[in-house]
Amino acid sequence: MAEYKLLTKDFGAVGLQTLKGYERVGGYQGLRDAFAKFTPEALVAEVKTSNIRGRGGAGFPTGMKWSFLPKDVFPRYLCCNADESEPGCFKDRYLIDESPHQLIEGLLIASYALQVNISFIYIRGEYHDQRLLLERAVEEARAAGYIGRNILGSGFDCDVIVHGGAGAYICGEETALIESLEGLRGQPRLKPPFPAVKGLYGQPTVVNNVETLCNMPHIVQRGGAWFKALGTEKSAGTRVFCCSGHIKRPGNYEMQLGTPIRELLEEECGGIWQGRSLKAFQPGGGSMQVLLPQHLDLPLDMNAVQEAGSSLGAGAMIFMDETTCLVDVSMRLVDFYRHESCGKCVPCREGTYFESELMHRLEAGLATRAELASLADICSNMDGRCFCPLGDTATWFVMSAYKAFGDEFEAHCGAGRCPVRAQATALVA
Amino acid sequence: MTAVAETGTPPEQPDDGRVGISIDGRELRVPKGTLVLDAATEAGIHIPIYCAHPKMDPVAVCRMCLVNIEKFPKPQPACATVAGDGMVVRTDLPEVTKLREGMLEFLLLNHPLDCPVCDRGGECDLQDFTFRYGPGISRFPITEKVHFKKALPLSEHIELDQERCILCWRCVRYYDEITGEKEIVLQQRGVDTLVATFDDRQLESKFQGNLPEVCPVGALTHRKYRFVSRPWDLQRTASVCPECSYGCNINVDSRDFEVRRFASRDNPLVDDMWLCDRGRYSFDRWNSSERVRRPVVRSDDESRDVSVAEAITQAARRLREIADEYGAASIGVLGSSTSTNEELFLLERIARQVIGTPHVDHQLEPFEELSAAEHELGIAEIEDCDALVVLGAEPEEQAPVLTLRLYKAERKKGAQVIRMSGDVAVAEAVAAASGSTRIGLIADETNRAHAAEVAAALGAVGSVRRLTITRGINGRGAKDLGLLPNVGPAYASVSERGKNGRQILEGLAAGEMRGLLMLGPNPALEAAGDLLERAVRKAACVVAFDTRPGVVSRYATVLFPGHAVFEKTGSVTNVEGRVQRIRAGLPPASATPVETRVLTRLAGELGAVGWGSGDPLAVNRLLRDEFPAYGRAGNGGRAVFTAEAVA
Repeated sequence: MAEYKLLTKDFGAVGLQTLKGYERVGGYQGLRDAFAKFTPEALVAEVKTSNIRGRGGAGFPTGMKWSFLPKDVFPRYLCCNADESEPGCFKDRYLIDESPHQLIEGLLIASYALQVNISFIYIRGEYHDQRLLLERAVEEARAAGYIGRNILGSGFDCDVIVHGGAGAYICGEETALIESLEGLRGQPRLKPPFPAVKGLYGQPTVVNNVETLCNMPHIVQRGGAWFKALGTEKSAGTRVFCCSGHIKRPGNYEMQLGTPIRELLEEECGGIWQGRSLKAFQPGGGSMQVLLPQHLDLPLDMNAVQEAGSSLGAGAMIFMDETTCLVDVSMRLVDFYRHESCGKCVPCREGTYFESELMHRLEAGLATRAELASLADICSNMDGRCFCPLGDTATWFVMSAYKAFGDEFEAHCGAGRCPVRAQATALVA
Repeated sequence: MTAVAETGTPPEQPDDGRVGISIDGRELRVPKGTLVLDAATEAGIHIPIYCAHPKMDPVAVCRMCLVNIEKFPKPQPACATVAGDGMVVRTDLPEVTKLREGMLEFLLLNHPLDCPVCDRGGECDLQDFTFRYGPGISRFPITEKVHFKKALPLSEHIELDQERCILCWRCVRYYDEITGEKEIVLQQRGVDTLVATFDDRQLESKFQGNLPEVCPVGALTHRKYRFVSRPWDLQRTASVCPECSYGCNINVDSRDFEVRRFASRDNPLVDDMWLCDRGRYSFDRWNSSERVRRPVVRSDDESRDVSVAEAITQAARRLREIADEYGAASIGVLGSSTSTNEELFLLERIARQVIGTPHVDHQLEPFEELSAAEHELGIAEIEDCDALVVLGAEPEEQAPVLTLRLYKAERKKGAQVIRMSGDVAVAEAVAAASGSTRIGLIADETNRAHAAEVAAALGAVGSVRRLTITRGINGRGAKDLGLLPNVGPAYASVSERGKNGRQILEGLAAGEMRGLLMLGPNPALEAAGDLLERAVRKAACVVAFDTRPGVVSRYATVLFPGHAVFEKTGSVTNVEGRVQRIRAGLPPASATPVETRVLTRLAGELGAVGWGSGDPLAVNRLLRDEFPAYGRAGNGGRAVFTAEAVA
């Protein structure tokens, strides 16, 4: 089974970034179908039937999330989360780059289903070009009557606003995204109340990932039942996987869920580069736990990967060859969390700092065994104690790597340098 | 444990608006919506907190209060978790102990540990909880900490130490939620997060002094208290802020017989634990050594220090001579809004009953048609109003903490606060308040007449209750007790209307009146200019109590050293009629007995019988017997005269 192209089917078509090009491949037919065939309630039900789960990381069933909105409370808001900042993730950028109108169409369909009259696309600050692309696309769609009052004569009004972030990983967390959208410091909010009840400007709000929304035109056109049949029982549909690391052909590959990871690695990515072998890989993005070569036969299924102790997360796949030092990788990831911690809660703010200082000592071969032992304890003091998942996930990779490569971690203690790197240098030379 | 609990089938509880919760095995029922933290406090179980604050909304950022709750996968913050029926909370598990240790280790990572030179040492939550719950050592291998600015002046009152800050957000939330001014912000992120003012601006709030009190550590400190004292060297006396009539409860912290600071003492009905800077930083005024220290008797050509006994005898003799020669009505009696209820009670009785003069007052200008109705609205009842009409800027200038109560009513209860100019047209006020049913009208006592007109007109919109801002710590008590020429005790009518303060002084200066008995210090007399000096110089006899050297002490015929507010015991009545105790926290500046004793003995010399010892508490009992409203108010309640005035 090779790549299964649903969202990416038309990618590469000439002028797909423009409205004309998108319409040429049948664009906005999903929106027309939505208006023609569905009431908003029926559309929510259809999405429930499709069994689609959120593509942003947590994998929460989208239809269920939508049904949490309290009835008869208006206005409601829909925010598209395009703050893709997970290390190793670049699928949202790809989806926007290739076909901005697909996202806008999905957003409009979801807005119709949720009876939202103002929708936002919150896009990561670093995605400057994508933001301009989206803004242009929104203007085009507005001029063509897809956005605005009485869209396509349906009587449904919806405006779309593209809002750029200022470069903070935490704003990918839905409540921090809402805070940032309101013009406040990007920091997560205390839950409850959940955004579905009290979100943006205190109103019911749904936050959906770019890829989730891009699926909407296809669900509408082909039906929820068709979509559900795609993939596995618990993980319906396809996902775009961002493959990077020590592989021959890094890039985005859309795969039907349920395909073995090995197929993704060997057929799409071309296998590990330079004739080396796989040492470990990290699915899901920087937050998720490390997996080993024996996990390659796992299917690309959210539950199956979860049972193996990791997660498909936001769809990243980082492959590491045998020259990789897992202490070094851990250190770099921990540095990322230290840099991105918003500073709101104590365990994340101080814990990531503690972790990072320790990891730097360990990687340099300066740490003692007692310090290594305290690392595990520090992580246990953070995991499950933090205000939001950022701090919790800052410990996941380190702890899983320590568990799987304990010898390597211990070999660093008092070594005065990184033993793995020393070995690798010898190997390459 | 009851048998029911053992079988595990609790009986059906009727819905009484409460939920049953178990904390560390202690079962209790708490009202719905109670936070686990508050329920634990009620059960006598201590949960350490930094970010949670009883007057602010929870943020759950310090993670210090995480507790184990059955059926929850992760530890939950007690400060933000609402108690649910059947909830089983544990704070005594090893995992809770461990997470507290872990959290304190994190907090101390970048804390400078400069406790020996920190003003907060000894009353610091970080210090206390580290002793109680923390690890003994840090495992952090790096000795260099993240550094920020220390001793950064934020204003003339407040200094910030960014290194000591544990980022609990209380100061930021204080400005967001309590004053609404937003002067302090968080900057940067992660381990570099710091508390600062935007653009390094200076704080301008009138309520900055509360910041060091909401700060759980030594990050925000009073500049006036810097390196002044350790908390265990302070002697703490519960009293009332003497700076205005609002009656904020304070702790007077003194050391070496000097007041070192005022600290707030939460009374949710009055101050809600907030003080204004004018009040809080007025404390050093009470440390002046310029004081009247001995009783003095003066005749035409000589002035001599005398014993208290002789001074009392002389005072009585001279007052009697005046009364005999020129009639009792030639004597004026002036109380003061800084005197206690007990002193004023005695003074009024001496004036009207013993001497028999109608000329009693405590201020200069007359208050026509004074009635208890203008003091009907209580401070806490402000929150019950749906519209609050504030006339002019004076009420909030005179009693600044009122602003915070108005903001609370606005923010938490959705009340509409309508600030209008003091002389606003009646129709305009009515239009602004239209649609409201419960209206609070707040005005200054200098604006009484106009406020009465506005109140009458607002009666057509909804029910109106008035709060009138009086002057001085006990201006309200002086009115209740009848220290007025046109109104008797408890707002009773008087048979003969006396002269008001200004007329008494003018009478003395013109030689129409001869004698004056006065309690000082009296800030109201400052507005009289040189009239006061002319009056006391011309008068044949001035019997005066005063604390500081000045015009009165210079010319008084018989002078008694007065006791300052913090040197005596008694009660004072605040703007809403709340009777509150003040207590002696400083040694008196003179050996003279307190005013109540001197006044009682003076009354005895003037012929009164059965007034007792003059002990302040004994006088207080007499006062409560005489004034049922004060009897009902007791200590801390409101003396309400409205029903009696009508009856």
